[in-house]
Amino acid sequence: MRDLPGIDSLLLKKLKVCCAKEDSVLPRETGLKLMESTPAENSSGVSAKCRDSRVEELWGLTTFFGYSTQTFVQAVNLLDRFLTLMKVQRKHVPCIGVCCLHMAAKMIEEEADVSPTHELIRISQSRFTVSDLSRMEKIISEKLCLDPKAVTALTFLQLYHSAIASQSAGREEIPSIGRLEAQLKACLCRLVFSKAKPSVLALSLVAQEFESFSVMKTVQQFQKHLKISDAELLGWKELVAECMSAYHSSQCSKPDNKKLVWIVSRRTAQGLQSCHFSVPALPTIPERSWNQSQSEDSGEDTSCSEESPCGSLGSDGEGTFFPSSFHHSRD
Amino acid sequence: METTKLPPSSPSSPTTSFSVPSAEKVDGFPRRSMRRARQRRSHSSSQFRYQSSQVELTPLPLLKDAPVAELHDLFCKKLQQCCVLFDFLDCVADLKGKEIKRAALNELVESVATSRGVLIEPLYPEAIKMISVNIFRTLPPSENPEFDPEEDEPTLEASWPHLQLVYEFFLRFLESPDFQPSMAKRYIDQKFVLQLLELFDSEDPREREYLKTILHRVYGKLLGLRAYIRKQINNIFLRFIYETEHFNGVAELLEILGSIINGFALPLKAEHKQFLVRVLIPLHTAKSLSIFHAQLAYCVVQFMEKDATVTEFIIRGLLKYWPKTCTQKEVMFLGEIEEILDVIEPSQFIRIQEPLFKQIAACISSPHFQVAERALYFWNNEYILSLIEENCQVILPLVFATLYRVSKEHWNQTIVSLIYNVLKTFMEMNSKLFDDLTASYKVEKQKELKRERERSELWRGLEEYEERRMQMLTEAARNQRNLQERGERGDPLSPTCPQTAHSDQPEPKPSGATSGETAT
Repeated sequence: MRDLPGIDSLLLKKLKVCCAKEDSVLPRETGLKLMESTPAENSSGVSAKCRDSRVEELWGLTTFFGYSTQTFVQAVNLLDRFLTLMKVQRKHVPCIGVCCLHMAAKMIEEEADVSPTHELIRISQSRFTVSDLSRMEKIISEKLCLDPKAVTALTFLQLYHSAIASQSAGREEIPSIGRLEAQLKACLCRLVFSKAKPSVLALSLVAQEFESFSVMKTVQQFQKHLKISDAELLGWKELVAECMSAYHSSQCSKPDNKKLVWIVSRRTAQGLQSCHFSVPALPTIPERSWNQSQSEDSGEDTSCSEESPCGSLGSDGEGTFFPSSFHHSRD
Repeated sequence: METTKLPPSSPSSPTTSFSVPSAEKVDGFPRRSMRRARQRRSHSSSQFRYQSSQVELTPLPLLKDAPVAELHDLFCKKLQQCCVLFDFLDCVADLKGKEIKRAALNELVESVATSRGVLIEPLYPEAIKMISVNIFRTLPPSENPEFDPEEDEPTLEASWPHLQLVYEFFLRFLESPDFQPSMAKRYIDQKFVLQLLELFDSEDPREREYLKTILHRVYGKLLGLRAYIRKQINNIFLRFIYETEHFNGVAELLEILGSIINGFALPLKAEHKQFLVRVLIPLHTAKSLSIFHAQLAYCVVQFMEKDATVTEFIIRGLLKYWPKTCTQKEVMFLGEIEEILDVIEPSQFIRIQEPLFKQIAACISSPHFQVAERALYFWNNEYILSLIEENCQVILPLVFATLYRVSKEHWNQTIVSLIYNVLKTFMEMNSKLFDDLTASYKVEKQKELKRERERSELWRGLEEYEERRMQMLTEAARNQRNLQERGERGDPLSPTCPQTAHSDQPEPKPSGATSGETAT
């Protein structure tokens, strides 16, 4: 194959190699379709919504424990593959999710950075135990082939980006790889994108993001090199654009706080419970609302106009100040 | 006959009890384990001067048996009888007299409470006189000079059996349907009120309870005294804050003020706003805040509900006086902030959100777990959450770095879990903002690591340079000595030896970062 202008041939070779590997890590199409068609209210089956919220949870844990984006992407891939391979009950999905994250972390992160399982379970407020988790780990590793060097959409993204970066070196400011990673994460939170091949998904992300930049030619070259059809690319690009507009909108959505458990220490809980002075024992004394003269501030006894019964005065006039029910309020 | 009794102890006399000097009292948590071995003294009475010519009381006929014509006269006589004071320090003295007075007081209370038409004009001065004689006294100095209102048992008033009935009588008197403010104001004047307020310093909580209710009724009914009462309460508080830091009745006075503030007319008078800023907010600096914090917080919140524009003063004031070393107080302040936020208006919230959340971030990173917990628990409050959500763009950057850092560093696991909850909440609120902040946080971390590496490189280089230089100097010195020795021995070698020539030149400096050092 002749050298495409501008793009490093080594990189192109790498791309080809990755492309060849990517088919083995695709989730089963039938499984994906099944998830999409399962209604969200179905209590036993796994719906797209269930999977999506699980992925969001995994993202939360990823950032909290400081895992890399690659760990996250890998974990999502494992999750999708497992869910589409096996018929699982909804109640097991939390365990599977956390397990996939843990396995991905073990593959990719440094040993010292991998959080211990009990900590993972505690932070995620999961109801299963450590032994449940290790059993699930065994099951998943049996069913799926685990390859630390597995190819993911992020791999492709990094390759594309490095090529483009070297192309446009210094000439213009291109979006960073970090930005692209965040966008990929946002896409992966939607089940529909699991249908795309990693190379295609990554390319459509790049195409969408770099639309206004001069390096679009490079994108087209990638497309030709990997034999991706126009229709396919355009289709995914549209979906990506939709996802991105939702992601970028600075709308703050009200979080569903009820799912979280707020545990505090005993002392703080006691402090919270101690009743505050919300119901005063003493009845309100209304300030005079009529004739705000300076006479009240002089501090001296003024004329009897203060005590003269006045219709608007209310309780300050004649008659009992308090209703008789207060007379015997002394204990 | 009785001789005048001296008070059991005075502040200047050496005490025989053991007490912890105040310097050892640690800020923060009450040390309940420190049981002071105090000699139990007999309860003191505040009557130091004993009437030497003791009037013998003769029992009078019962009020309920008296014919209507004589009722008022008898009432008066009983009032006069009750002006005689008894010594309760001595438990066995004058038992008969004490009983007569007690019975008389009881009757008077019953009469005022139940019958109508009892309070006629001539009775007013007599009644006020009897009350004054009984309750107005100089309060004794506290038996325990180190009295800590939070920890210690208060010294109770010895003459309570009579005093309680006098207070009860006063209260019923004020609450009677026949009570005429216009008549009473001649006798319940400013001087009376001032003495009443001074009694709030009593250590006996039962007395303060009565005084609170009584003053509340007085304030309600005698309008001419209101401004004066407010002014005097002002003075008491200011003295408390800035001069003495001792007054036992702050909580009770605040309770009364709460009911007054609740009744403020709108728009709020400038005088009241000044009171808030100059007295109520500085009151938060008192060391014994825990005693009256609930009442103080209530007053503050009431002000806010009356006039939202005072919110900014309140919050800025609290932030100014934020406790720096007392974590017990910090927890109280956080509780108050939550109560304030519960009623705050969104437009006011926006004005103070930045300094407020900077302080909250500082609290989250506090090594004291209760402070951090209390601050994090704000995110469990629905209304506060909605305020945060509306202003997510401003608030999240303020707390983000702290949350992340503390989650990695804090020793307390509960805190770490709570931080996860808060981060998760933010993630759901606005995932893009969250991702942006995460990314920039990571970049910052990388830069910091790089700076650290460069700094240690620089130091290492300097150390090496220093070593080499020392080596060079010792070598030069050695060579110089050799030369001298040879010269003395008359060596044929020339004085300037080629070996030593290069030792004077400085070695090239190790390249480091920006620090431009000159050769020494």
